[in-house]
Amino acid sequence: MAERALSEILEETFARCRDLEVPLADRLQAFANEVRRMGPHFAVAVDNLVHRLMETGAGATAPKVGEPMPSFLLPDERGRLVGLEDLLGEGPVAIAFHRGYWCPYCRININALARAAAEIAPERRHIAAVVPDRQKYTAWLKSDAKVPFPILSDMDNGYAMSLDLAFWVGDELKQSMVSCGWDPAVSQGIENWVLPIPATFIVGTDGIVTARFVDPDYRMRMAIEDMMAALRSAK
Amino acid sequence: MEMYQIRYFLALSETLSFTKAAERCNVAQPSLTRAIRSLEVELGGELLRRERTLSHLTELGERIAPLMRQCYEAADAAKVVAQSLKKGEATSLSVAVSQSISVATLARILSELSRAFPGLQLKLLRGSGPEIVACLKSGEAELAIAGPLDETWDRLDAVALYDEPIDLFVSGKHRLATRKAAEFEDLASETLLINAASEMAGKIADRLKDTAAGTARSHRVASLDDLLTLVKADLGVAIIPLGIGSLAGLSLVPLGGLELVRTVSVYSVAGRCRGTACATLFNMLRAADWGFESATGRKCGGL
Repeated sequence: MAERALSEILEETFARCRDLEVPLADRLQAFANEVRRMGPHFAVAVDNLVHRLMETGAGATAPKVGEPMPSFLLPDERGRLVGLEDLLGEGPVAIAFHRGYWCPYCRININALARAAAEIAPERRHIAAVVPDRQKYTAWLKSDAKVPFPILSDMDNGYAMSLDLAFWVGDELKQSMVSCGWDPAVSQGIENWVLPIPATFIVGTDGIVTARFVDPDYRMRMAIEDMMAALRSAK
Repeated sequence: MEMYQIRYFLALSETLSFTKAAERCNVAQPSLTRAIRSLEVELGGELLRRERTLSHLTELGERIAPLMRQCYEAADAAKVVAQSLKKGEATSLSVAVSQSISVATLARILSELSRAFPGLQLKLLRGSGPEIVACLKSGEAELAIAGPLDETWDRLDAVALYDEPIDLFVSGKHRLATRKAAEFEDLASETLLINAASEMAGKIADRLKDTAAGTARSHRVASLDDLLTLVKADLGVAIIPLGIGSLAGLSLVPLGGLELVRTVSVYSVAGRCRGTACATLFNMLRAADWGFESATGRKCGGL
Protein backbone atom coordinates (compact mmCIF):
# COMPACT_ATOMS: atom_id res chain seq x y z
CA MET A 1 0.00 0.00 0.00
CA ALA A 2 2.76 2.41 1.03
CA GLU A 3 4.61 1.79 -2.25
CA ARG A 4 1.54 2.38 -4.33
CA ALA A 5 0.80 5.62 -2.50
CA LEU A 6 4.37 6.79 -3.14
CA SER A 7 4.21 6.10 -6.86
CA GLU A 8 0.89 7.95 -7.07
CA ILE A 9 2.28 10.96 -5.24
CA LEU A 10 5.29 10.94 -7.55
CA GLU A 11 3.02 10.83 -10.59
CA GLU A 12 1.13 13.90 -9.35
CA THR A 13 4.38 15.66 -8.56
CA PHE A 14 5.66 14.83 -12.03
CA ALA A 15 2.56 16.28 -13.70
CA ARG A 16 2.81 19.46 -11.65
CA CYS A 17 6.51 19.96 -12.46
CA ARG A 18 5.98 19.13 -16.14
CA ASP A 19 3.34 21.83 -16.46
CA LEU A 20 5.29 24.63 -14.73
CA GLU A 21 5.70 27.64 -17.02
CA VAL A 22 9.46 27.84 -16.46
CA PRO A 23 12.54 26.70 -18.44
CA LEU A 24 13.20 22.94 -18.69
CA ALA A 25 16.10 23.03 -16.22
CA ASP A 26 13.84 24.60 -13.57
CA ARG A 27 11.10 22.02 -14.17
CA LEU A 28 13.66 19.21 -13.75
CA GLN A 29 15.07 20.90 -10.66
CA ALA A 30 11.59 21.30 -9.17
CA PHE A 31 11.00 17.56 -9.53
CA ALA A 32 14.45 16.70 -8.15
CA ASN A 33 13.74 18.94 -5.11
CA GLU A 34 10.43 17.16 -4.49
CA VAL A 35 12.15 13.76 -4.67
CA ARG A 36 14.79 14.97 -2.24
CA ARG A 37 12.11 16.26 0.12
CA MET A 38 10.04 13.05 -0.03
CA GLY A 39 12.85 10.56 0.23
CA PRO A 40 16.25 11.78 1.43
CA HIS A 41 17.60 8.21 1.06
CA PHE A 42 16.75 8.18 -2.61
CA ALA A 43 18.54 11.48 -3.19
CA VAL A 44 21.61 10.19 -1.36
CA ALA A 45 21.65 7.03 -3.51
CA VAL A 46 21.41 9.17 -6.65
CA ASP A 47 24.13 11.53 -5.44
CA ASN A 48 26.43 8.57 -4.70
CA LEU A 49 25.93 7.10 -8.16
CA VAL A 50 26.36 10.44 -9.91
CA HIS A 51 29.50 11.06 -7.89
CA ARG A 52 30.99 7.72 -8.98
CA LEU A 53 30.08 8.39 -12.62
CA MET A 54 31.62 11.87 -12.48
CA GLU A 55 34.76 10.53 -10.83
CA THR A 56 35.36 8.05 -13.66
CA GLY A 57 34.42 10.51 -16.40
CA ALA A 58 31.44 8.49 -17.61
CA GLY A 59 30.21 9.56 -21.04
CA ALA A 60 33.26 11.74 -21.72
CA THR A 61 34.41 9.57 -24.64
CA ALA A 62 31.05 9.74 -26.45
CA PRO A 63 31.24 11.47 -29.88
CA LYS A 64 32.60 14.98 -29.50
CA VAL A 65 32.00 18.13 -31.52
CA GLY A 66 33.71 17.71 -34.88
CA GLU A 67 33.55 13.90 -34.76
CA PRO A 68 31.20 11.76 -36.86
CA MET A 69 28.05 10.42 -35.17
CA PRO A 70 28.06 6.63 -35.69
CA SER A 71 25.19 5.33 -37.83
CA PHE A 72 22.31 3.34 -36.38
CA LEU A 73 19.23 1.53 -37.59
CA LEU A 74 16.62 1.22 -34.84
CA PRO A 75 12.90 0.44 -34.78
CA ASP A 76 10.58 3.34 -33.92
CA GLU A 77 7.40 3.07 -31.86
CA ARG A 78 5.55 1.46 -34.80
CA GLY A 79 8.33 -0.97 -35.65
CA ARG A 80 9.60 1.03 -38.63
CA LEU A 81 13.39 0.99 -38.95
CA VAL A 82 14.87 4.47 -38.82
CA GLY A 83 18.51 5.18 -39.64
CA LEU A 84 20.62 8.22 -38.89
CA GLU A 85 21.04 8.74 -42.67
CA ASP A 86 17.23 8.76 -43.15
CA LEU A 87 16.96 11.50 -40.52
CA LEU A 88 19.82 13.54 -41.92
CA GLY A 89 18.16 13.41 -45.35
CA GLU A 90 15.53 15.72 -43.84
CA GLY A 91 18.05 18.18 -42.33
CA PRO A 92 20.14 18.51 -39.16
CA VAL A 93 18.89 16.43 -36.25
CA ALA A 94 19.10 16.33 -32.47
CA ILE A 95 19.56 12.78 -31.15
CA ALA A 96 18.35 12.72 -27.54
CA PHE A 97 19.04 9.66 -25.37
CA HIS A 98 16.46 8.98 -22.68
CA ARG A 99 16.36 6.45 -19.88
CA GLY A 100 12.84 5.11 -20.29
CA TYR A 101 9.10 5.67 -20.21
CA TRP A 102 9.09 5.24 -16.43
CA CYS A 103 11.57 8.10 -15.80
CA PRO A 104 9.84 11.36 -14.75
CA TYR A 105 12.87 13.46 -15.78
CA CYS A 106 12.73 11.93 -19.27
CA ARG A 107 8.99 12.54 -19.48
CA ILE A 108 9.45 16.19 -18.49
CA ASN A 109 12.26 16.46 -21.03
CA ILE A 110 10.35 14.69 -23.84
CA ASN A 111 7.39 16.95 -23.21
CA ALA A 112 9.57 20.02 -23.72
CA LEU A 113 11.20 18.42 -26.79
CA ALA A 114 7.77 17.73 -28.29
CA ARG A 115 6.93 21.44 -28.20
CA ALA A 116 10.35 22.42 -29.51
CA ALA A 117 10.07 19.93 -32.38
CA ALA A 118 6.78 21.43 -33.54
CA GLU A 119 8.33 24.89 -33.50
CA ILE A 120 11.47 24.01 -35.45
CA ALA A 121 10.09 21.50 -37.98
CA PRO A 122 9.25 24.22 -40.57
CA GLU A 123 12.96 25.12 -40.57
CA ARG A 124 13.83 21.54 -41.63
CA ARG A 125 15.38 20.75 -38.27
CA HIS A 126 14.36 17.57 -36.45
CA ILE A 127 14.61 15.57 -33.26
CA ALA A 128 14.75 11.82 -32.56
CA ALA A 129 14.73 10.18 -29.15
CA VAL A 130 16.57 6.95 -28.32
CA VAL A 131 15.43 4.84 -25.34
CA PRO A 132 16.18 1.26 -24.25
CA ASP A 133 12.43 0.49 -24.00
CA ARG A 134 10.35 -1.86 -26.14
CA GLN A 135 7.78 -0.52 -28.61
CA LYS A 136 4.80 -0.90 -26.31
CA TYR A 137 6.44 1.64 -24.01
CA THR A 138 7.86 3.96 -26.67
CA ALA A 139 4.36 4.09 -28.17
CA TRP A 140 2.99 5.03 -24.75
CA LEU A 141 5.64 7.72 -24.29
CA LYS A 142 4.86 9.06 -27.75
CA SER A 143 1.13 9.41 -27.14
CA ASP A 144 1.52 10.56 -23.52
CA ALA A 145 3.50 13.65 -24.54
CA LYS A 146 2.04 13.96 -28.08
CA VAL A 147 5.53 13.59 -29.51
CA PRO A 148 5.80 14.42 -33.22
CA PHE A 149 9.23 12.78 -33.70
CA PRO A 150 10.27 9.12 -33.73
CA ILE A 151 11.12 7.41 -30.44
CA LEU A 152 13.60 4.65 -31.23
CA SER A 153 14.08 1.42 -29.28
CA ASP A 154 17.73 0.75 -28.47
CA MET A 155 17.45 -2.77 -27.08
CA ASP A 156 19.95 -3.72 -24.37
CA ASN A 157 21.41 -0.20 -24.75
CA GLY A 158 23.49 -1.52 -27.64
CA TYR A 159 23.84 1.79 -29.50
CA ALA A 160 24.24 3.82 -26.29
CA MET A 161 26.88 1.39 -25.01
CA SER A 162 28.75 1.54 -28.33
CA LEU A 163 29.10 5.30 -27.63
CA ASP A 164 30.22 4.62 -24.02
CA LEU A 165 26.94 6.08 -22.78
CA ALA A 166 25.62 3.25 -20.60
CA PHE A 167 25.97 2.70 -16.88
CA TRP A 168 24.90 0.15 -14.30
CA VAL A 169 22.36 1.41 -11.78
CA GLY A 170 23.75 -0.60 -8.85
CA ASP A 171 22.03 -2.20 -5.89
CA GLU A 172 21.59 0.89 -3.71
CA LEU A 173 19.70 2.97 -6.28
CA LYS A 174 17.87 -0.06 -7.70
CA GLN A 175 16.12 -0.58 -4.39
CA SER A 176 15.06 3.06 -4.16
CA MET A 177 13.80 3.02 -7.74
CA VAL A 178 11.71 -0.11 -7.25
CA SER A 179 10.11 1.42 -4.16
CA CYS A 180 9.01 4.36 -6.35
CA GLY A 181 7.55 2.02 -8.95
CA TRP A 182 10.32 2.80 -11.46
CA ASP A 183 11.28 -0.53 -12.95
CA PRO A 184 13.21 -0.45 -16.23
CA ALA A 185 13.39 -4.26 -16.36
CA VAL A 186 9.75 -4.39 -17.48
CA SER A 187 10.03 -1.93 -20.35
CA GLN A 188 13.49 -3.14 -21.39
CA GLY A 189 12.42 -6.79 -21.27
CA ILE A 190 15.66 -7.63 -19.56
CA GLU A 191 16.81 -7.63 -15.95
CA ASN A 192 20.23 -6.00 -16.16
CA TRP A 193 19.59 -2.53 -14.73
CA VAL A 194 21.73 -0.79 -17.28
CA LEU A 195 20.63 2.68 -18.36
CA PRO A 196 21.90 5.24 -20.85
CA ILE A 197 23.32 8.59 -19.79
CA PRO A 198 20.63 10.97 -21.14
CA ALA A 199 22.87 12.83 -23.61
CA THR A 200 21.91 15.00 -26.59
CA PHE A 201 23.88 15.29 -29.85
CA ILE A 202 23.24 17.81 -32.62
CA VAL A 203 24.29 16.28 -35.93
CA GLY A 204 24.73 18.21 -39.19
CA THR A 205 23.65 16.75 -42.56
CA ASP A 206 27.28 15.68 -43.12
CA GLY A 207 26.96 13.37 -40.10
CA ILE A 208 29.34 15.44 -37.94
CA VAL A 209 28.43 16.36 -34.35
CA THR A 210 28.13 20.15 -34.06
CA ALA A 211 27.09 20.33 -30.40
CA ARG A 212 26.61 17.89 -27.55
CA PHE A 213 25.38 17.74 -23.98
CA VAL A 214 26.56 14.84 -21.84
CA ASP A 215 26.01 14.89 -18.09
CA PRO A 216 26.09 11.71 -15.98
CA ASP A 217 23.70 13.49 -13.59
CA TYR A 218 20.47 12.35 -15.22
CA ARG A 219 18.56 15.21 -13.61
CA MET A 220 20.40 17.58 -15.98
CA ARG A 221 19.38 17.85 -19.64
CA MET A 222 20.38 20.02 -22.55
CA ALA A 223 18.55 23.35 -22.31
CA ILE A 224 15.89 23.67 -25.00
CA GLU A 225 17.23 27.10 -26.05
CA ASP A 226 20.74 25.66 -26.46
CA MET A 227 19.43 22.76 -28.51
CA MET A 228 17.35 25.06 -30.73
CA ALA A 229 20.28 27.42 -31.28
CA ALA A 230 22.59 24.50 -32.13
CA LEU A 231 20.02 23.00 -34.50
CA ARG A 232 19.51 26.36 -36.23
CA SER A 233 23.23 26.93 -36.76
CA ALA A 234 23.85 23.35 -37.96
CA LYS A 235 23.99 22.78 -41.71
CA MET B 1 31.33 2.15 -18.52
CA GLU B 2 33.44 2.19 -21.63
CA MET B 3 33.55 -0.66 -24.09
CA TYR B 4 37.26 -1.33 -23.66
CA GLN B 5 36.84 -1.53 -19.87
CA ILE B 6 34.13 -4.16 -20.30
CA ARG B 7 36.30 -6.06 -22.76
CA TYR B 8 39.16 -6.11 -20.25
CA PHE B 9 36.85 -7.16 -17.44
CA LEU B 10 35.38 -10.02 -19.50
CA ALA B 11 38.90 -11.25 -20.30
CA LEU B 12 39.79 -10.97 -16.62
CA SER B 13 36.64 -12.88 -15.57
CA GLU B 14 37.66 -15.74 -17.86
CA THR B 15 41.38 -15.86 -17.11
CA LEU B 16 41.29 -14.69 -13.47
CA SER B 17 44.75 -13.25 -14.08
CA PHE B 18 45.77 -9.69 -14.89
CA THR B 19 48.78 -10.94 -16.84
CA LYS B 20 46.77 -13.37 -18.98
CA ALA B 21 43.90 -10.92 -19.48
CA ALA B 22 46.35 -8.23 -20.64
CA GLU B 23 47.91 -10.70 -23.08
CA ARG B 24 44.55 -11.71 -24.43
CA CYS B 25 43.49 -8.06 -24.90
CA ASN B 26 46.84 -7.14 -26.41
CA VAL B 27 47.46 -4.37 -23.92
CA ALA B 28 50.07 -3.56 -21.28
CA GLN B 29 49.15 -4.88 -17.86
CA PRO B 30 49.20 -1.48 -16.08
CA SER B 31 46.62 -0.15 -18.60
CA LEU B 32 44.38 -3.13 -17.97
CA THR B 33 44.74 -2.77 -14.21
CA ARG B 34 43.93 0.94 -14.46
CA ALA B 35 40.82 0.24 -16.56
CA ILE B 36 39.57 -2.39 -14.12
CA ARG B 37 40.20 -0.03 -11.19
CA SER B 38 38.18 2.68 -12.91
CA LEU B 39 35.36 0.22 -13.62
CA GLU B 40 35.43 -0.81 -9.94
CA VAL B 41 35.04 2.83 -8.88
CA GLU B 42 32.09 3.27 -11.22
CA LEU B 43 30.40 0.01 -10.20
CA GLY B 44 31.05 0.75 -6.54
CA GLY B 45 32.99 -2.36 -5.49
CA GLU B 46 35.86 -4.75 -6.14
CA LEU B 47 35.42 -7.15 -9.05
CA LEU B 48 38.35 -9.50 -8.52
CA ARG B 49 39.88 -10.62 -5.25
CA ARG B 50 43.61 -10.94 -5.81
CA GLU B 51 45.28 -13.83 -4.08
CA ARG B 52 48.65 -15.23 -4.95
CA THR B 53 47.47 -18.58 -6.29
CA LEU B 54 43.70 -18.39 -6.25
CA SER B 55 42.42 -15.09 -7.63
CA HIS B 56 38.65 -15.18 -7.98
CA LEU B 57 35.71 -12.96 -8.88
CA THR B 58 34.02 -11.23 -5.97
CA GLU B 59 30.28 -11.64 -5.47
CA LEU B 60 29.79 -8.38 -7.40
CA GLY B 61 32.13 -9.59 -10.14
CA GLU B 62 30.22 -12.88 -10.49
CA ARG B 63 26.89 -11.10 -10.61
CA ILE B 64 27.94 -8.46 -13.07
CA ALA B 65 29.89 -10.62 -15.54
CA PRO B 66 26.87 -12.03 -17.48
CA LEU B 67 25.30 -8.59 -17.57
CA MET B 68 28.52 -7.01 -18.88
CA ARG B 69 28.75 -9.71 -21.53
CA GLN B 70 25.23 -8.90 -22.70
CA CYS B 71 26.04 -5.17 -22.82
CA TYR B 72 29.23 -5.81 -24.71
CA GLU B 73 27.55 -8.06 -27.29
CA ALA B 74 24.76 -5.54 -27.85
CA ALA B 75 27.27 -2.71 -28.28
CA ASP B 76 29.47 -4.79 -30.52
CA ALA B 77 26.46 -5.57 -32.73
CA ALA B 78 25.61 -1.85 -32.84
CA LYS B 79 29.16 -1.14 -34.06
CA VAL B 80 28.90 -3.78 -36.78
CA VAL B 81 25.61 -2.22 -37.91
CA ALA B 82 27.12 1.30 -37.90
CA GLN B 83 30.08 0.22 -40.03
CA SER B 84 28.16 -1.81 -42.56
CA LEU B 85 25.47 0.87 -42.99
CA LYS B 86 28.25 3.20 -44.02
CA LYS B 87 29.53 0.75 -46.60
CA GLY B 88 26.03 -0.16 -47.80
CA GLU B 89 26.82 -3.87 -47.86
CA ALA B 90 24.35 -6.39 -49.19
CA THR B 91 23.75 -9.07 -46.60
CA SER B 92 22.16 -12.45 -46.21
CA LEU B 93 20.26 -13.81 -43.25
CA SER B 94 18.98 -17.24 -42.38
CA VAL B 95 16.24 -17.61 -39.76
CA ALA B 96 14.65 -20.80 -38.49
CA VAL B 97 11.04 -20.56 -37.30
CA SER B 98 9.30 -23.25 -35.32
CA GLN B 99 6.39 -25.08 -36.99
CA SER B 100 4.32 -24.01 -33.99
CA ILE B 101 4.57 -20.31 -34.89
CA SER B 102 2.42 -18.71 -37.56
CA VAL B 103 4.53 -16.79 -40.04
CA ALA B 104 1.74 -14.18 -40.06
CA THR B 105 3.00 -13.09 -36.63
CA LEU B 106 6.37 -12.26 -38.17
CA ALA B 107 5.22 -10.91 -41.53
CA ARG B 108 5.32 -7.21 -40.61
CA ILE B 109 8.74 -7.45 -39.04
CA LEU B 110 10.23 -9.42 -41.92
CA SER B 111 8.83 -7.09 -44.57
CA GLU B 112 10.16 -4.05 -42.70
CA LEU B 113 13.59 -5.69 -42.50
CA SER B 114 13.44 -6.46 -46.20
CA ARG B 115 12.49 -2.84 -46.97
CA ALA B 116 15.35 -1.44 -44.89
CA PHE B 117 17.99 -3.70 -46.49
CA PRO B 118 17.44 -3.61 -50.26
CA GLY B 119 20.35 -6.02 -50.79
CA LEU B 120 19.17 -8.55 -48.22
CA GLN B 121 18.63 -12.17 -49.17
CA LEU B 122 16.48 -13.86 -46.58
CA LYS B 123 16.32 -17.60 -45.99
CA LEU B 124 13.37 -18.73 -43.91
CA LEU B 125 13.63 -22.26 -42.51
CA ARG B 126 10.91 -24.26 -40.78
CA GLY B 127 11.30 -27.10 -38.35
CA SER B 128 10.39 -28.81 -35.11
CA GLY B 129 12.27 -28.02 -31.90
CA PRO B 130 15.08 -30.55 -32.45
CA GLU B 131 15.41 -29.58 -36.12
CA ILE B 132 15.78 -25.94 -35.12
CA VAL B 133 18.51 -26.76 -32.62
CA ALA B 134 20.30 -28.72 -35.36
CA CYS B 135 20.06 -25.72 -37.73
CA LEU B 136 21.59 -23.44 -35.11
CA LYS B 137 24.36 -25.90 -34.26
CA SER B 138 25.35 -26.41 -37.88
CA GLY B 139 25.25 -22.67 -38.58
CA GLU B 140 22.52 -23.12 -41.19
CA ALA B 141 20.41 -20.66 -39.18
CA GLU B 142 21.80 -17.57 -37.44
CA LEU B 143 18.65 -16.92 -35.40
CA ALA B 144 15.69 -19.05 -34.44
CA ILE B 145 12.25 -18.20 -33.14
CA ALA B 146 10.54 -20.96 -31.20
CA GLY B 147 8.71 -22.03 -28.08
CA PRO B 148 10.65 -23.72 -25.26
CA LEU B 149 13.37 -25.91 -26.78
CA ASP B 150 14.27 -28.84 -24.59
CA GLU B 151 17.97 -28.37 -25.11
CA THR B 152 20.88 -28.27 -22.74
CA TRP B 153 23.55 -27.14 -25.20
CA ASP B 154 25.37 -24.46 -23.24
CA ARG B 155 26.06 -22.25 -26.27
CA LEU B 156 22.36 -21.85 -26.98
CA ASP B 157 21.31 -18.32 -25.95
CA ALA B 158 17.61 -17.68 -25.43
CA VAL B 159 15.94 -14.31 -24.89
CA ALA B 160 12.22 -14.46 -24.09
CA LEU B 161 10.02 -12.43 -26.45
CA TYR B 162 6.55 -13.03 -25.07
CA ASP B 163 4.43 -15.35 -22.95
CA GLU B 164 1.43 -16.65 -24.83
CA PRO B 165 -1.45 -18.47 -23.11
CA ILE B 166 -2.56 -21.78 -24.61
CA ASP B 167 -6.24 -22.60 -24.75
CA LEU B 168 -9.05 -24.52 -26.45
CA PHE B 169 -10.19 -23.46 -29.91
CA VAL B 170 -13.09 -24.86 -31.93
CA SER B 171 -14.74 -24.03 -35.25
CA GLY B 172 -17.56 -21.48 -35.27
CA LYS B 173 -20.03 -24.31 -36.01
CA HIS B 174 -18.92 -26.48 -33.11
CA ARG B 175 -21.34 -27.26 -30.25
CA LEU B 176 -18.91 -25.63 -27.77
CA ALA B 177 -18.41 -22.47 -29.87
CA THR B 178 -21.04 -20.45 -28.05
CA ARG B 179 -20.02 -21.61 -24.59
CA LYS B 180 -18.33 -19.13 -22.24
CA ALA B 181 -16.03 -21.84 -20.90
CA ALA B 182 -15.38 -25.55 -21.12
CA GLU B 183 -14.29 -28.24 -18.68
CA PHE B 184 -12.09 -31.28 -19.26
CA GLU B 185 -15.27 -33.45 -19.24
CA ASP B 186 -16.51 -31.59 -22.31
CA LEU B 187 -13.54 -32.94 -24.26
CA ALA B 188 -14.07 -36.62 -23.41
CA SER B 189 -16.31 -37.12 -26.43
CA GLU B 190 -14.29 -34.87 -28.75
CA THR B 191 -11.52 -35.50 -31.23
CA LEU B 192 -8.37 -33.58 -30.33
CA LEU B 193 -6.10 -32.39 -33.12
CA ILE B 194 -2.52 -32.22 -31.94
CA ASN B 195 0.21 -30.16 -33.58
CA ALA B 196 2.92 -32.81 -33.55
CA ALA B 197 5.68 -30.28 -34.26
CA SER B 198 4.74 -28.03 -31.34
CA GLU B 199 7.26 -27.70 -28.51
CA MET B 200 4.27 -27.76 -26.15
CA ALA B 201 2.73 -31.04 -27.40
CA GLY B 202 4.27 -33.03 -24.55
CA LYS B 203 3.20 -30.53 -21.90
CA ILE B 204 -0.38 -30.44 -23.21
CA ALA B 205 -0.55 -34.26 -23.22
CA ASP B 206 0.81 -34.36 -19.65
CA ARG B 207 -1.81 -31.88 -18.49
CA LEU B 208 -4.70 -33.81 -20.07
CA LYS B 209 -3.48 -37.30 -19.15
CA ASP B 210 -5.13 -37.60 -15.74
CA THR B 211 -8.26 -35.61 -16.54
CA ALA B 212 -11.57 -36.56 -18.12
CA ALA B 213 -10.10 -35.34 -21.41
CA GLY B 214 -7.41 -38.01 -21.21
CA THR B 215 -9.62 -40.56 -22.97
CA ALA B 216 -10.46 -38.29 -25.92
CA ARG B 217 -9.54 -39.53 -29.37
CA SER B 218 -6.61 -37.66 -30.90
CA HIS B 219 -5.09 -37.11 -34.34
CA ARG B 220 -1.54 -35.94 -34.85
CA VAL B 221 -1.01 -33.32 -37.54
CA ALA B 222 2.50 -32.21 -38.50
CA SER B 223 1.66 -28.88 -40.10
CA LEU B 224 0.08 -26.04 -38.14
CA ASP B 225 -1.73 -24.75 -41.24
CA ASP B 226 -3.20 -28.20 -41.87
CA LEU B 227 -4.33 -28.41 -38.26
CA LEU B 228 -6.09 -25.04 -38.43
CA THR B 229 -7.82 -26.02 -41.69
CA LEU B 230 -9.02 -29.27 -40.13
CA VAL B 231 -10.34 -27.52 -37.00
CA LYS B 232 -12.22 -25.08 -39.25
CA ALA B 233 -13.72 -28.07 -41.07
CA ASP B 234 -14.88 -29.36 -37.67
CA LEU B 235 -12.83 -32.53 -37.83
CA GLY B 236 -11.86 -31.88 -34.23
CA VAL B 237 -10.87 -29.29 -31.64
CA ALA B 238 -7.39 -28.05 -30.74
CA ILE B 239 -5.45 -26.77 -27.75
CA ILE B 240 -3.22 -24.13 -29.29
CA PRO B 241 -1.61 -20.77 -28.51
CA LEU B 242 -4.03 -17.85 -28.20
CA GLY B 243 -2.52 -15.77 -30.98
CA ILE B 244 -2.64 -18.62 -33.48
CA GLY B 245 -6.24 -19.57 -32.77
CA SER B 246 -7.44 -15.97 -32.86
CA LEU B 247 -5.53 -15.13 -36.03
CA ALA B 248 -7.08 -18.17 -37.75
CA GLY B 249 -10.58 -16.94 -36.83
CA LEU B 250 -11.39 -19.90 -34.60
CA SER B 251 -13.62 -19.63 -31.52
CA LEU B 252 -11.90 -19.50 -28.15
CA VAL B 253 -13.53 -21.55 -25.40
CA PRO B 254 -11.46 -21.09 -22.22
CA LEU B 255 -10.72 -24.53 -20.82
CA GLY B 256 -10.96 -24.50 -17.01
CA GLY B 257 -7.89 -25.82 -15.21
CA LEU B 258 -5.62 -25.91 -18.27
CA GLU B 259 -3.45 -22.92 -17.31
CA LEU B 260 -0.70 -23.41 -19.84
CA VAL B 261 1.54 -20.69 -21.23
CA ARG B 262 4.30 -20.97 -23.78
CA THR B 263 7.30 -18.67 -23.79
CA VAL B 264 8.39 -17.79 -27.29
CA SER B 265 12.05 -16.87 -27.44
CA VAL B 266 14.64 -15.80 -29.94
CA TYR B 267 17.57 -18.20 -29.97
CA SER B 268 21.12 -17.68 -31.12
CA VAL B 269 24.50 -19.27 -30.60
CA ALA B 270 26.75 -17.64 -28.00
CA GLY B 271 30.05 -16.40 -29.36
CA ARG B 272 28.97 -16.28 -33.00
CA CYS B 273 29.20 -12.83 -34.48
CA ARG B 274 25.87 -11.39 -35.60
CA GLY B 275 25.79 -9.76 -39.00
CA THR B 276 24.03 -6.46 -39.64
CA ALA B 277 20.67 -7.85 -40.74
CA CYS B 278 20.80 -10.48 -38.00
CA ALA B 279 21.53 -7.90 -35.29
CA THR B 280 18.77 -5.64 -36.61
CA LEU B 281 16.20 -8.45 -36.73
CA PHE B 282 17.20 -9.49 -33.21
CA ASN B 283 16.51 -5.95 -31.96
CA MET B 284 13.23 -5.71 -33.87
CA LEU B 285 12.02 -8.98 -32.35
CA ARG B 286 13.05 -7.84 -28.87
CA ALA B 287 11.41 -4.43 -29.27
CA ALA B 288 8.16 -5.62 -30.88
CA ASP B 289 4.82 -5.38 -29.11
CA TRP B 290 3.48 -8.94 -29.38
CA GLY B 291 0.20 -8.10 -27.71
CA PHE B 292 0.85 -10.36 -24.73
CA GLU B 293 2.01 -9.57 -21.20
CA SER B 294 5.64 -8.65 -20.80
CA ALA B 295 8.14 -11.46 -21.16
CA THR B 296 9.62 -10.59 -17.77
CA GLY B 297 6.31 -11.70 -16.29
CA ARG B 298 5.85 -8.50 -14.32
CA LYS B 299 3.22 -5.84 -14.64
CA CYS B 300 4.41 -2.41 -15.55
CA GLY B 301 3.79 0.80 -13.63
CA GLY B 302 2.24 3.30 -16.05
CA LEU B 303 0.48 0.82 -18.31
